[in-house]
Amino acid sequence: MIIEIHFVFIFITGLKMANRQSNQLPLNLPQLQNLVKRDPESYKQEFLQQKDHFDAVYDAFVTYYDQRNDKYNEEIDKLMTFLAQVAHCYTEELTGFPQKLMDALEKHAWEMHADNRMSICRTLILLRNKNLLEPMDLLPLFFKLFQCPDKRLRKCLQQNIIADIKNMNIKRRNNKLNTYLQNFMFQMVNNSHAKTAKISLNIMVELYHKNVWNDAKCVNVIAEACLSKIPSVMITAVKFFLTSNVAEKEDGSDSEDDIPNPKEMMMANRVNKKTRKREKNLDKLKTLVKKKKKKQKTENFQFSALHLIYDPQGFAEKLFKQMSTLHDQFEGKLLTLELISRLIGVHELILLNFYPYLSRFLRPHQREVTKILQCVAQAAHQLVPPENLESVVEVIVNNFVTERNSADVMAVGINAIREICLRCPLSMNRDMLQDLSSYKSYREKSVMMAARSLIHLFRDANPELLQKRDKGKPTIAAVEKKAKGFGELDAVELIPGAEALVGNDGEEAEDDDGVDSDSSGEWINLSDSENEANGSDEEVDDEEEEDEDDDDNDEEEDGDDSGNEDAESEENKNEKAKEKKNPKKKSKKEPEEEGLDPQARRLKALELIQTQILTDEDFKRMEKLQMQKQVVGAKKGSAKKRKASEAIDHVSKQIDELVDLGAIENIHKRKRHDREARLEAVKKGQEGREKFGKKKGRMNPHASTTNKEKRKSKAFMMLKPKLKRKGKSSVQERQRSFKHWLEKTRKRMLKLK
Amino acid sequence: MSSKVSKEMLLECVNAVIQSSQEKKRNFVETVELQIGLKNYDPQKDKRFSGTVKLKHIPRPKMSVCVLGDQQHCDEANANSVPCMDAEALKKMNKNKKLVKKLAKKYDAFLASESLIKQIPRLLGPGLNKAGKFPLLLTHQESMTQKIDEVKATIKFQMKKVLCLCVAVGHVGMNPEELASNVNVSINFLVSLLKKHWQNVRSLHIKSSMGPPQRLY
Repeated sequence: MIIEIHFVFIFITGLKMANRQSNQLPLNLPQLQNLVKRDPESYKQEFLQQKDHFDAVYDAFVTYYDQRNDKYNEEIDKLMTFLAQVAHCYTEELTGFPQKLMDALEKHAWEMHADNRMSICRTLILLRNKNLLEPMDLLPLFFKLFQCPDKRLRKCLQQNIIADIKNMNIKRRNNKLNTYLQNFMFQMVNNSHAKTAKISLNIMVELYHKNVWNDAKCVNVIAEACLSKIPSVMITAVKFFLTSNVAEKEDGSDSEDDIPNPKEMMMANRVNKKTRKREKNLDKLKTLVKKKKKKQKTENFQFSALHLIYDPQGFAEKLFKQMSTLHDQFEGKLLTLELISRLIGVHELILLNFYPYLSRFLRPHQREVTKILQCVAQAAHQLVPPENLESVVEVIVNNFVTERNSADVMAVGINAIREICLRCPLSMNRDMLQDLSSYKSYREKSVMMAARSLIHLFRDANPELLQKRDKGKPTIAAVEKKAKGFGELDAVELIPGAEALVGNDGEEAEDDDGVDSDSSGEWINLSDSENEANGSDEEVDDEEEEDEDDDDNDEEEDGDDSGNEDAESEENKNEKAKEKKNPKKKSKKEPEEEGLDPQARRLKALELIQTQILTDEDFKRMEKLQMQKQVVGAKKGSAKKRKASEAIDHVSKQIDELVDLGAIENIHKRKRHDREARLEAVKKGQEGREKFGKKKGRMNPHASTTNKEKRKSKAFMMLKPKLKRKGKSSVQERQRSFKHWLEKTRKRMLKLK
Repeated sequence: MSSKVSKEMLLECVNAVIQSSQEKKRNFVETVELQIGLKNYDPQKDKRFSGTVKLKHIPRPKMSVCVLGDQQHCDEANANSVPCMDAEALKKMNKNKKLVKKLAKKYDAFLASESLIKQIPRLLGPGLNKAGKFPLLLTHQESMTQKIDEVKATIKFQMKKVLCLCVAVGHVGMNPEELASNVNVSINFLVSLLKKHWQNVRSLHIKSSMGPPQRLY
């Protein structure tokens, strides 16, 4: 075989001799490549020459691979690269070329030198990028190669596959191809070879995050991988579900900001000199903006991966079953627990065995106990039978919230209970709650805060369970709200807050039957004209004589327009002023002067929402009323105002699907003087004063330095003998030098005096 | 600002729906449904909303309700000829998934008495839950027929995996005014659920089961 190669070589060198004068093309492949790319037709001869050469080398390479002793074959490498580079110029001549390379890999990839293998793969990738190869052909081969014990190769291939699939979908989704590739990939995830399975999973996760394959099918295959026997695959898949919510879109915001405004450019063009280039640029920009607008219209909505799972109940059950077989690895177990709890919380599943299982781990000294508490809270939802959760809460109370534990442990326990009760208030009974609420005056601040937050929660959720002194002054909202029993239907007849519409239209509803469009229009005008007068209204004493209805309108509008805290507080003031004058009229929500009691108002509101479609303004008014209900006391005597910010809290508060770990671990109170604050205070004190300590600079900048100072800048080796001498000196010598020093200092002191 | 859907427009659409169903009679009473498309809504960030509202007129009178009750409720149900099951019957199912699934399929909604409802997850497993038909509470204080009517009149808005919703708001046998009032209530309620109200609504359609859709908004 070596002889054959030599023969070919000589043949080529012979050719080379013939036109040595002109150039050295046959040997200088990069140059040839350059020329071929410029003018494929006229260099065809040279190309064919190289191709023949490659064929010969290839045959030798393939047939006698075992005699090569695993050496790196540089020649074939160069030829391959050359052919691949110019492949798009001679597609007909090179039809069999990719297949040849693939055959070589298929047969001899394991025996081949790593560099050769890599270069063949690179060549194939190059051909694929030039679209001379179908992805369907290449992918199976690459997946086979993942079994090669070659990390570099695996990494390169993985990156390439991801990039390739992403590029295929960049312009538009190629659904047919995608389904084929996905099916192939899905098979590979179940591959028995651990590395292959892991890599194909990695590829899918990456493609999901890049928004290429974010469909339900892909998510469900990843879900299946959670049940894999191979631990690394299982953990990767579980982690995907735990992090996919957090993952933000990385791309998408890159090109949006740098598009200038076409209006600005038009203006600039009017001022600047007119050139054709500028006009062209403007046109380009216009099309760009148009395209961008179009893109924005077709926004696609992302559901988190957890929502896309087909059969959450079955999946959770399988995971739970699998977890009981995981004995040794705590990390894997914890991750699985978290995933199950998320599934339960998001899909409101019923998995009754889960709670007793978790309560086994609920001990203060358990590793990562806050995470387990987080799992419990996540797994709580309305449809869980209360006694199941009650037992878990009891376990937490017994193990965490006792005085023999440290304050931190107690606070963590109470916080966890609060998170559970936020999702499922029925899991708490009266005795336990009253017991817990007695910690509201505990000496440790963290415990106290946790207990208070629990009380606060139950004031809203179910005040009946609290002791009377903890209930607080009931607001209108609290009175209206009733604690929900298990499985109770909470259908509303009336949209909450709809009474606002009747109250405002009070008179209008009477005389023109509340034609929506003009009544609200008129209303707005009113607000504009009277807004400024509002401030003075408060002081004027003859408020009583004013039309009461007008007054009412007036008040409610001023918050309506701005809706922020200022307006709210102003309104409160306003109301207080009113109260003083007219103690009967406490709650302005009920315009008694119109003779409409709440029941009648309700009926009227009901009629209203049945006959007309509400507008955005109406909704604003309704929201406003809901907010006020949180603030205003229910009983006439107890009209104590809560802070407006509190009301905003109430309205905007919504229960998250997932529990924040910080909510449970929230036990460390911030020190009044933490490091940053202290440093800042120090810096502030230093401002505008001279520095303390010895002045480094001398009075006369040109004065010479002392020997002592000089010694500091000297290299140590220069001083070494001197220091040594000192150490070795006899007692006599030391005495002498001490005496000398004393004399010197005495003289200096005298001089100073 | 005038409202997004005018009264006349709504009435026109409702009439069109009813008319088209009369032109081509089907062998069943067609249901009228409201279809809603949403926009500017990020299901990953914003809370996925759900809510129930009671309509004035019952949209689906043929809806079948089963009572899972204690002795007293079962007697009452038998007297009113409402299908019912007691705890024994439930225990017989023995958590058999197929039987539970069959049960869930057979009825559109369930009611359960107080003593029983807490045991239901234990007795039946997750089957009812999976079908989204977890029973509702029926106490001894309220009358059964009234409660059943209430359940029948209740519609639920819940967003699932797509950004559109569909609810039954009536049937073609109703007169236009009733239908219009139902549509009004459901639209108002839905829009009140949305964070930015009308800015979140892409489209509103009403259509009967087999008829052409009518665009409201």
